[in-house]
Amino acid sequence: MTAPCRLDPRVWLLWGLAASVPPLLGRNPLVLAAVLCAALGVRGAWAGHTPEARSWRTLVRLAALFAAIGALFNLLTAHTGDLVLVRLPDAIPILGGPLTLNALVYGLLSGLALLVLVVVWTTLGALLDWPALLRLVPGRLATVAVAGSVAFAFVPQTVTAYREIREAQAARGYRLRGARGLVPLIVPLLTGGLERAITLAEALEARGFGGPPEPASGGRRWRGVAVALGLTALAAGGYLLAAGRPLLALGVALAGAGALAAAGRERHGQHVRRTRYRPPRWTRADTIVAVATGATLVVELAVLARDPAAFQFEPYPSLALPHVNLWLLVGLALLLAPALVTRSSTPDTAGAAEIARP
Amino acid sequence: MSATLPQIEFAGVSYGYPEQAKPALAGVDWRVGEGEFVVVAGASGSGKSTLLRCLNGLVPHFSGGRFGGVALVGGHDTRLDGPRALSRQVGFVFQDPEAQLVTQRVEDELAFGLEQRGIPPVTMRKRVEEALDLLGIAALRDRAIATLSGGERQRVAVAAALTLQPALLALDEPTSQLDPWAAEDVLTALTRLNEDLGLTIVLAEHRLERVIAHADRLRVMLGPEAALDGTPRSVLADMDPAMTPPLVRLARRLGWQPLPLTVKEGRAFARRGPLPAPPPPDPAPPAGPTAVSLRGVGLGYGRRTVLRDLDLDLRPGELVALMGRNGAGKTTLLRAIMGLHRPDAGRITVLGRDATRLDAAELARDAGYVPQNPTTILFAETVREELAFTLRCHGGHGLDPEALLARLGLAHAAARHPRDLSGGERERAALAAVLVAAPRVLLLDEPTRGMDYRRKRELGAILAELRRDGVAILMATHDVELVATIATRVALLGDGELVADGPPRAVLSGSLTFATQINKLYGDGFLTVDDVVGHESRD
Repeated sequence: MTAPCRLDPRVWLLWGLAASVPPLLGRNPLVLAAVLCAALGVRGAWAGHTPEARSWRTLVRLAALFAAIGALFNLLTAHTGDLVLVRLPDAIPILGGPLTLNALVYGLLSGLALLVLVVVWTTLGALLDWPALLRLVPGRLATVAVAGSVAFAFVPQTVTAYREIREAQAARGYRLRGARGLVPLIVPLLTGGLERAITLAEALEARGFGGPPEPASGGRRWRGVAVALGLTALAAGGYLLAAGRPLLALGVALAGAGALAAAGRERHGQHVRRTRYRPPRWTRADTIVAVATGATLVVELAVLARDPAAFQFEPYPSLALPHVNLWLLVGLALLLAPALVTRSSTPDTAGAAEIARP
Repeated sequence: MSATLPQIEFAGVSYGYPEQAKPALAGVDWRVGEGEFVVVAGASGSGKSTLLRCLNGLVPHFSGGRFGGVALVGGHDTRLDGPRALSRQVGFVFQDPEAQLVTQRVEDELAFGLEQRGIPPVTMRKRVEEALDLLGIAALRDRAIATLSGGERQRVAVAAALTLQPALLALDEPTSQLDPWAAEDVLTALTRLNEDLGLTIVLAEHRLERVIAHADRLRVMLGPEAALDGTPRSVLADMDPAMTPPLVRLARRLGWQPLPLTVKEGRAFARRGPLPAPPPPDPAPPAGPTAVSLRGVGLGYGRRTVLRDLDLDLRPGELVALMGRNGAGKTTLLRAIMGLHRPDAGRITVLGRDATRLDAAELARDAGYVPQNPTTILFAETVREELAFTLRCHGGHGLDPEALLARLGLAHAAARHPRDLSGGERERAALAAVLVAAPRVLLLDEPTRGMDYRRKRELGAILAELRRDGVAILMATHDVELVATIATRVALLGDGELVADGPPRAVLSGSLTFATQINKLYGDGFLTVDDVVGHESRD
């Protein structure tokens, strides 16, 4: 078993950001398909390297289910568009009226956008070296980091635990029927998950994570406010991006990141000074992927500024072919970069073994 | 002992968890000298974990609640210094091998605490190397944590705690979720650390037979206030015999003095004393139709073969112990019988029905399955509702819930929330929730993991009674002593194949890895204390 090879966590975050922008901005099928292909390609190329990759399948399936429900709902309730499939009697409340292909397409594409987001984020979740990311957090933000670590340990373990509980309840003669029937599955999942999360938090405390407690002071309170403001700004940035105000989003997000950085840097030298055991080497693969995904992000922003319709697709009032922006598609193709560097970022040992073989 | 400096000094320590009227600790006075190896034992719920968490300030800094008295650890007052500050003095290892490691690679895990402390990289490299060697895990250094076995994980956790060079190592039942071989590895490593490095060790543990020979002191918690504390020999002679290992029980019954702590010490007494009458022969196995029958079963996950060409029969009234090392396929076999995993080849019949064609909910009409962590299935507000839920799943057919609860000693708990029960009661509640459907086949996956001697004995009595009622029981377990007392047959799995299948006396006796303590003393078919002293002289 060789050590799992990996890219720098910051590179993965950049990739995740670049891949999340299109599905957040619109539902152009070509754009969505390009991102989906890139994400699946990356996931496939890296699947052999992470044991967690399997446990995320359930989440993707769940997203697909929600997407299908959404598409059906939209088909039954939208009633606009020029391509009528079937006309339900007007007497039926809400459902009555024309059911159009336009509405179905719109619903399917909304679902696809959701699915793409889930695929991108679960890929990120499986491939990102979370602990390494955690160690990039300055000691000043120890409490935030502890909370974050509890959260990320929670998700994949919860997926595994859910499978175990579902099997055990089935062996008890239980058949899932309806949403209320989820209680016997969800309650043990939550209580068990909480117990595990508490153990992990205790373990982090017991091992001195975040350094010695600092004396309470005005500076500390200031930092708390800065952290809260920073996180709020980041969240607001995400919302603005989704709402189609990218430049404002960028500004707000940068301000948030600045507040967090300031909070982390404040009197940094005085108490907690952390060191790195083996500082991760920035490899050629990191550079390649960082440059490629950086380029994707630049293309996305440029297209957004000059041709925002490239992300959009409007099936109402009449269905037309989606708008194609070649620059954008080329930029999105660069999202495949992580899939192309899996070989070169494998640790030297693997290569040595190959050479040694006669 | 008085010559050494006190490493731990508790004076009148009292503690109550938030929103709980009953204190967990009350007026505890405790002194542990430098370099001592202290084992803390006691029934679950007696306050072992709480006592240990006082050592590094997790109680009360992390847990909240009411704390009284003074706890000095390495000269630090735990009321002033919390767990982070004490992380240099006290290394802490938790029970759950899954939840306490925070990185993805072994080496990173060892370096984690050092990085938090800002130790210079040069020192860090040296300390990580030392810790890898001390625990004998240098070969694992590049491995991903997710690929490690439970025993390996616990050794990594100990090594990670050692890199900060604490003077005291506190371990909260570190082996309770491990198989006996993995537990042995961890405990051997601990004794070496204590003997070679002079590290003070406080270990909560109920596998007393493994550690007691190396311990300087044994503290048995009897409740918030009461505890027995002294040399292992004196405490074992005084404590409730039901909580002692088989060797000690036999020695106390036969009046051996001084009390032997190891099989080696016991053998000297056994040789001197008169040889006991040979144990009665095993009763003939029940004849008749099979309840579960496996023919040529083969099964794999992806490319890995887990079971190959397996034949096994289980008849009503039998209690078959399924043994074998971790990864031998025990759990997979149980899951296959329960319809949770389709075999690639062969036939499985459960009471005449083809299990490979039915799903688990359908098979549940005949078979009950209690998973490794039985508390995962508890969700209702009360134990009574839990049983009613199972009955509803079975269309109302089953046993009388109140009578079953009384039989399992849970009548008092019927109206309580399952998660508020003690560990042993919780496990019995889960068992009751499965048994209420009156399954004629019962599948148990390591039912005694983490149980103390008394709880194991209680469970054994319940299972023996079910067996006499004609239930066919298949139990995957590592617990040799339990198997010796209650199993009618032992099926030994090795690498997915059936290695041995026969009565316990034939399979366990004289085995290097599966012999009981008593069998190691007398050999030749003696497995339990009762085999030696006879059933009549039971006290």
